Amino acid sequence: MKDKMTIILFSGEMDKAIAAFTLATTAASSDMDVSIFFTFWGLNILKKKKFIITKTQMLMQKMFNTMSTSSLPISKMNYFGLGPWMMKKLMKKSNMASLEDLMKLAKQLNVKYIACTTSCGVLGLTKENLTDDVNEFAGAATYLAEAKESKVNLFI
Amino acid sequence: MEKNKTLDCVGLFCPMPIIKTKQEIETMKPGEVLEILADDPGFEKDLPAWCKMSGELFLEMKKEDGLYKGYVKKKP
Repeated sequence: MKDKMTIILFSGEMDKAIAAFTLATTAASSDMDVSIFFTFWGLNILKKKKFIITKTQMLMQKMFNTMSTSSLPISKMNYFGLGPWMMKKLMKKSNMASLEDLMKLAKQLNVKYIACTTSCGVLGLTKENLTDDVNEFAGAATYLAEAKESKVNLFI
Repeated sequence: MEKNKTLDCVGLFCPMPIIKTKQEIETMKPGEVLEILADDPGFEKDLPAWCKMSGELFLEMKKEDGLYKGYVKKKP
C-alpha cells in the first residue's frame, strides 16, 4: 500500500498556499497519495476567478466573499496587493513555479481536494462557487480517518 | 557515467527538478539511467531523498562549479 500524506490548508495566503502545494506535488511525485483538506480561508484558493455572489447568500456572507477572493494576499508585506504583485514578478523572473503552475501539477498528479462543508456553509459557498477540481465535500471525521492512516499530516 | 537520457533542470527551483525527474523516469524502461542537470543547491540532497521515497536507485551526484549532475537508475 502507498504511503499517505494529508494537509489541512487553513490559510488563504499565496505564500502559505505555495508552501502547501510544493509539498503536495513533491509527495505525489514520491509515490504517496496526497489529500488536501481546505477549510476557512483556505477555501479562497478554490474560489472561481470570477467569483459570483449568489442571491441566496446573506449580506455578511456577500461582504466576506467580496473582500476575500481567489486573488490571494501574502502573509507579510501585503501593502494592499502591491506585495503579491511584486512577489509574482520576482518569482517569474527567477523562474520559480507559480501557485497556478503548482495547482495544475497537483491535479495531474492526482492530489485529492476535500472542501470543508462547515466553512462552505458559514460563507454561503456552494459547489458552483468553487473550482471543479474539488473531489469531495466533507467534514472533520473524513479528514481524521485519512490522517490516521497517513504518515505525514500538516496544518498550514 | 553511462546514461540513456539527460534532463535539463538548470534554472528551475524546488520542487520542479524533482517533479520533472519523476515525470521523465516514468517514460523510461527499468534499468535505464537518467542524468539530471540542475543548479538549485537543494537538489544535491533532494535527489537522493526522493530516490529513498520512490524506490528508484540513486547512483551518483557530481558537482562542477555550481552545476549538479545527478544519476538515477530506474527500478526494475
